[in-house]
Amino acid sequence: MKILLIEDDSHTAAYVADGLRGQGHEVDHSATGLDGLSLASGGGYHVMVIDRMLPGVDGLTIVKKIRAAGIRAPVLLLTTLGGINDRVEGLEAGADDYLTKPFAFVELLARVNALARRLPLAEEETLLRVGDLELNRLERTVTRAGESIELQPQEFRLLEYLMRNSGQVVTRTMLLQNVWDFHFDPHTTVVETHISRLRAKIDRDFDEELIHTVRGSGYSLGLSR
Amino acid sequence: MASVAILLLIVYWITLAELDQQLSESVERETDVLAELYKSRGPESTVRAIQLRIADLRAPRRYYLLQNAAGERLAGNLPPMKPIEGEIVLPVSSLLRDRSLKSGGATADAHPVVAMGRRLENGEFLLVGENRYRAVKAREAILQAFGWGIVITVLLAAGGGAALGVGFLRRIEAINRTTRSIMDGDLSQRVPTRGGEDEMDQLAINLNAMLDRIQGLMDSVKRVSDDIAHDLRTPLSRLRHRLEATRAKLGPGGEREIEQSISELDAILETFSALLRIAQIESGARQAAFSNVSLGRILSAVFEAYAAVAEVQGQKLEIGVERDFPIRGDRELLTQMVANLIENAIRHCPAGARISVSLDQDTGAPTLSVTDTGPGIPAAERDKVFRRFYRLETSRTTPGSGLGLALVKAVADLHGASVELSDSRPGLRVRIRFLADSEIGARKVSTPGEPVTGHAGGEVPDDRAGG
Repeated sequence: MKILLIEDDSHTAAYVADGLRGQGHEVDHSATGLDGLSLASGGGYHVMVIDRMLPGVDGLTIVKKIRAAGIRAPVLLLTTLGGINDRVEGLEAGADDYLTKPFAFVELLARVNALARRLPLAEEETLLRVGDLELNRLERTVTRAGESIELQPQEFRLLEYLMRNSGQVVTRTMLLQNVWDFHFDPHTTVVETHISRLRAKIDRDFDEELIHTVRGSGYSLGLSR
Repeated sequence: MASVAILLLIVYWITLAELDQQLSESVERETDVLAELYKSRGPESTVRAIQLRIADLRAPRRYYLLQNAAGERLAGNLPPMKPIEGEIVLPVSSLLRDRSLKSGGATADAHPVVAMGRRLENGEFLLVGENRYRAVKAREAILQAFGWGIVITVLLAAGGGAALGVGFLRRIEAINRTTRSIMDGDLSQRVPTRGGEDEMDQLAINLNAMLDRIQGLMDSVKRVSDDIAHDLRTPLSRLRHRLEATRAKLGPGGEREIEQSISELDAILETFSALLRIAQIESGARQAAFSNVSLGRILSAVFEAYAAVAEVQGQKLEIGVERDFPIRGDRELLTQMVANLIENAIRHCPAGARISVSLDQDTGAPTLSVTDTGPGIPAAERDKVFRRFYRLETSRTTPGSGLGLALVKAVADLHGASVELSDSRPGLRVRIRFLADSEIGARKVSTPGEPVTGHAGGEVPDDRAGG
């Protein structure tokens, strides 16, 4: 993947760029808003990671300008503050996701991957399928190997999100934000509890486990390789 | 008013003294003239002169007496008397005997007479007097004028005062409106001025200058907190990055140690974020992003997320929503507030406890309650638990940042809601009472304008102890 990184803090930039390159991605880095804007305007990137606070032209302005120029590549906005208004402002400006600094690299990687996958994904697939697990978004039914599985509404949303990102790592924070719409870190085991309940329904009675725990990162749903 | 009265009194005294002085001088001059006539032309001429003068008299009248050494009256309109040299005052009673003689008005005789006695040659005695009619009339005229003056002054003062008062109240109200907006978080508001030089404008200008100063201080505190956010979090982030890199290099041996260091670091960063978040909520800038939200739906969503968590802990989480209440608010923050309350109950209650969340109304106000059957909070500690980092002795060992309830309070304040802790025998009941429809207009004066500076919501914490 070709990724553009606009970040003024050299340490963070090196950390992110090295990490992404280590994953086999091609990374262009720019340390100022103005340079970043001209690179971004050139197009050709699969994902752009943009810091919100930049010298010169700030991140929000860059996002607005490239969106106005018709560039649709997904944008991950990095925010430094407690981020209370940043999320809404960032999304309104045209960013696709946000990540509050400081972050673990796995968190950034998971989000970049999720954003990159969003492109080819047909907008609203009715039927999601992973192995013998099927989820029908319209009828709101789930079957595994033809057996119907009863899910609570939140379990359904959780499974749907995992299936849409199947084969990818989704972090605990991504689940909180996308499944529960929680934009804060709960101090209790909300995610773990629901994952374990979902596992009990999806995996317990079947030979192959579909929901995997990725140590230090999060979860991933898919056939084990 | 008093100053006007004192001024009039002084004028009155001076005028009366002046009139008395004139009266004395007039009587003395007349005495001199008649005494001179007596000396140069003899008694007969003097008698004639007095008689002529008496015949001519009009009110205010003069009084004359010329008597011989034997005390018999030679001329005049006063009864004979014991000769007295110099100025004397004759009481009204001494004139009465001679009433029949007079040619002036009866009223003129009803006033005391200022007189001047003079002993002449051969023991004869001359007395010239004039009554104080003029002085009395003048006094009456002055008093009457003063009376009108005071009435007019009072009317002018009352009318002007009322007009001033209405304007004054209007301007005070403008100041009140501004201060209420500012208390609601919009520090960019200023008291309107008229561009005049009066005291109210001076007050408004001073208030505005004070607000400018406060805003300047807030901005600099905000800059400091932004700097902390940036300057302290950046090295912490780097530390985290370095630990991650080290973990990768060390392999399985050191991994555990590094893992623990990272989670300790994450706890620090988390506390830091929570503090910044509370500060931003307290700044009120969030109100600009208020929308219509459903309290019932928020409650159900959070309930669904936590019911399973409570069950794992052996607790029972229940929900009771009487009916839904739509309010103006921030969905994200309200969600976190409810989540914090439920988490708080889950963390502090033992297995077997029941926790119930409910939404009903209290005298028209939507009221959200979280009640548990746990250990509760002693009455003396209830106010303190909203402070940042305040933790009960009994819960020192329970994990948590000590910021959960501080955030609850900040979010409630932002929505104009009150937070009340009480004993639910046994256990704790937390009630969040939102504004009733009727109370909303009274509180909300204006919508806060744009955030003061570039970073949205990046305001500063104030040092309210309750947090």
